[in-house]
Amino acid sequence: MEIRYLTEGPVSAKIISDFVEKSARKTDLGGHSIFLGQVRADETDGKKVRAIEYSAYAEMVDIEAEKIKKFILSEFSDVNAVDIVHSTGIVRAGEISLLVFVSAGHRHQAMQACTRAVELIKENLPVWKKEIFEDDSHHWK
Amino acid sequence: MEVKVLFFGVLAEVSGTYFKHYREVKLLSDLKHRISDDFPEIVHYSFRISVNNEITDNDILLKSGDEIALMPPFSGG
Repeated sequence: MEIRYLTEGPVSAKIISDFVEKSARKTDLGGHSIFLGQVRADETDGKKVRAIEYSAYAEMVDIEAEKIKKFILSEFSDVNAVDIVHSTGIVRAGEISLLVFVSAGHRHQAMQACTRAVELIKENLPVWKKEIFEDDSHHWK
Repeated sequence: MEVKVLFFGVLAEVSGTYFKHYREVKLLSDLKHRISDDFPEIVHYSFRISVNNEITDNDILLKSGDEIALMPPFSGG
């Protein structure tokens, strides 16, 4: 699995299942908390979002995602692994644009750490979304 | 000396480019002036600046090869 932090297009079911499969090799884990961010068909002025186009500062995403991983691992002693995959390019409404996969010895820290990781990603990852409406007009978020 | 300026998100659209090189620029504050002379519309947008992947609010001495990014508020997820 060569995926770093960014993937072109939606986060596929294959990417998600690869992480689940990879975890099966570690037998000291008691639970995983998985967050999947999905593109919502929001409506603005009667226009519906059909997709989001994500752009990212890839080099800085690597640095910031690495910092988030290290922070989570140092804050939550029971957490064993943190994986992050964010989309770039076009992701249609209903598709997955963000995967956060946190593995721990026990469920409490897995869930808490996952929530914290998602918040840190929202705050610190240099990623931008452009909402594309059904009439092809767009809006920067 | 030459530095590279990257435009992200709405700023790439507003400036009409993803990057531009600037020569003979000493301070970040000088560079900011030159960018706003070239792309006056970007002053209407809020953004942060990073130099070599570090966000900074300080005026710093630039060196050849530096990569400066103009980044609107992040909206990933």
